[in-house]
Amino acid sequence: MALLDVKGLTARVSGYTILNNLDFSVDENELRVLLGPNGAGKTTLIAMISGQFKPTDGVINFDGQDITGWAPYDIVRAGIGRKFQVPNMYETLSVYDNVMVSLKGDRKVFNYMLKRISPQDSDRVWEILEFIELAEKANEPADTLSHGERQWLELGMLIAANPKLLLLDEPTTGMTQEGKMRTAELIAKIAKNHTVLLVEHDMQIVRQIGKKVTVLHQGQLLVEGPLSDVVADERVRKVYLGKGKLQ
Amino acid sequence: MSASAKQPQIIKSKRVLRRTPLVSLSTVIVSAFIVAAIGSLPYLLGSGSYVLLLTGKFLCFTIFALSIDLIWGFTGILSLGQAVYFGIGAYLVALSLKINYAMDHPTRYGHKFPDFMEWNGLTALPKFMEPLISTPFAVICALMIPALLAFIFGVITFKRHIYGVYCAVITLAESLILQEFIIEYQAYTGGFNGITDYSNYVGAPFLWFMLAVTVACFLLARALTHSRIGTVLKSIRDNDLRAEFMGYNVANYRIFVFCISALMSATAGAMYAAWVGIVSFLDAGPVFSVEGVIWTAVGGRATLVGAFVGAFLIKGLEFLLSGLLADVWQLFMGALFIIVVLWMPDGIVGTIADWVRAWRRRTIKQIREDEDRRAFDQQHDWAPAGAAKTGEEAP
Repeated sequence: MALLDVKGLTARVSGYTILNNLDFSVDENELRVLLGPNGAGKTTLIAMISGQFKPTDGVINFDGQDITGWAPYDIVRAGIGRKFQVPNMYETLSVYDNVMVSLKGDRKVFNYMLKRISPQDSDRVWEILEFIELAEKANEPADTLSHGERQWLELGMLIAANPKLLLLDEPTTGMTQEGKMRTAELIAKIAKNHTVLLVEHDMQIVRQIGKKVTVLHQGQLLVEGPLSDVVADERVRKVYLGKGKLQ
Repeated sequence: MSASAKQPQIIKSKRVLRRTPLVSLSTVIVSAFIVAAIGSLPYLLGSGSYVLLLTGKFLCFTIFALSIDLIWGFTGILSLGQAVYFGIGAYLVALSLKINYAMDHPTRYGHKFPDFMEWNGLTALPKFMEPLISTPFAVICALMIPALLAFIFGVITFKRHIYGVYCAVITLAESLILQEFIIEYQAYTGGFNGITDYSNYVGAPFLWFMLAVTVACFLLARALTHSRIGTVLKSIRDNDLRAEFMGYNVANYRIFVFCISALMSATAGAMYAAWVGIVSFLDAGPVFSVEGVIWTAVGGRATLVGAFVGAFLIKGLEFLLSGLLADVWQLFMGALFIIVVLWMPDGIVGTIADWVRAWRRRTIKQIREDEDRRAFDQQHDWAPAGAAKTGEEAP
């Protein structure tokens, strides 16, 4: 039984067809890598799953529920967490508060009123901070962090929310090679307990952690399968020709 | 929880969290002094004093600025129409007091209803205003109607993802509409003249009451912004998209804090009307709304205390300067705004807090460095200028 099941998904924006009748599914506890050249529709697919855009046509099923057209916060509550391409966090809040505010909870206004964090929750925040190696900077405001640390913090925030499915949109953008490798390790660790859908351009990272790969091209599914098969595929080579990324 | 259970390689780090208490001891001491100082004014100056009247007004302005700080400083909603709620609160209380006053003080033609209604051709108190004869009921209305309006406004705008500049413009329009409404329906509102000539409550007991309410408002605001909901509000201010994609129904949080803020504004307005004894359309207008925003900005956004500092400092300076330099005082006020905006974007309190924070951080760093050096010295048994070694090598 697939955790995420996308059927006939179509996205048309002012005449352009970004996604075209896409069928796509991710199983539970899978680490799936989404590949594709620029404009293939990877980020649009992520945005539709997370509720940022409503699809023109098609159905998105998640965990046995039809979540098509739901509000973003309802989709998150159903168990989908999203990491943005650019690090996206609460700049003036401390690193600790960033994680704390993301902790899994009921998110209802009146339950958060006049309440402070419980010791168990605080422990959980510290565990996550140690996991993403930012415990030393717990009290610093998030805008003093470096770019790589921000990406990590956002991953930490997602872990705190503990979703069933994590959508990671190029989490290694703008990192050094070393940072990328460390992030890849972190993602591999996260993937042990969560289902992860990862958009990634860097083939070194994909080789390191990717098992099953889906390649999108012009809004359609091109190839899907184990990494070695995909890399060997003639059509994939054609799409990427001249980019040198798969060599 | 399962994610953490399977991570054995965690190194225990120092879990030091810098957290400020709900109300620190120094805050209690300082505010006790301020409350005592203001509370003793009626005895020092006599209850007819102009400064006393001003101080009471400033207390209302403080609560008004505090309400703006809650939505603007903490949640990032810039409302240029907060005076709507202040105005409605003030007018309802003023109307009630005026109606009661008119019963004991008949008009020129012997009618027992407010004189401005008589001038405008009414022959009796309108039916819908009769409930206002009961002042407690009027006070409840003065608080609840603004909160309800804020709720409706919030549902209409925030649920449709209208915020930022658009929200500011809509609230500004709201304020203009109310002002025009008051001027237009002068038979019921007193129009340009406002509502005057009723018995107000200036004096020691009401001043203490206002002080108590001000302290209560500060405590409520502090408790709100200090609890988990406060962190959520700040996260919405910083990045509402991320908050939405973290599962927060951002609109609900905005509506909630907007209602609380409207309630505070209305409280300030209601006390203002009872204290000052005159309410005019200006108290519901856009100029007053913007003034409140300026007090908050000068005092310091998202600091709470900034509301008090801003309102007292600016209104106090206005009073002093307009007395001393009748012609050019506004230039000085302008200069003050420019200075604050250019060099203190966090406001007066925010800037001072930054200094304190920087000083503390430097001190902590210094202490850590000293500790490190001492530990290093102990480990290495630091001898002065290589004395031990030369000693060993010496024949």
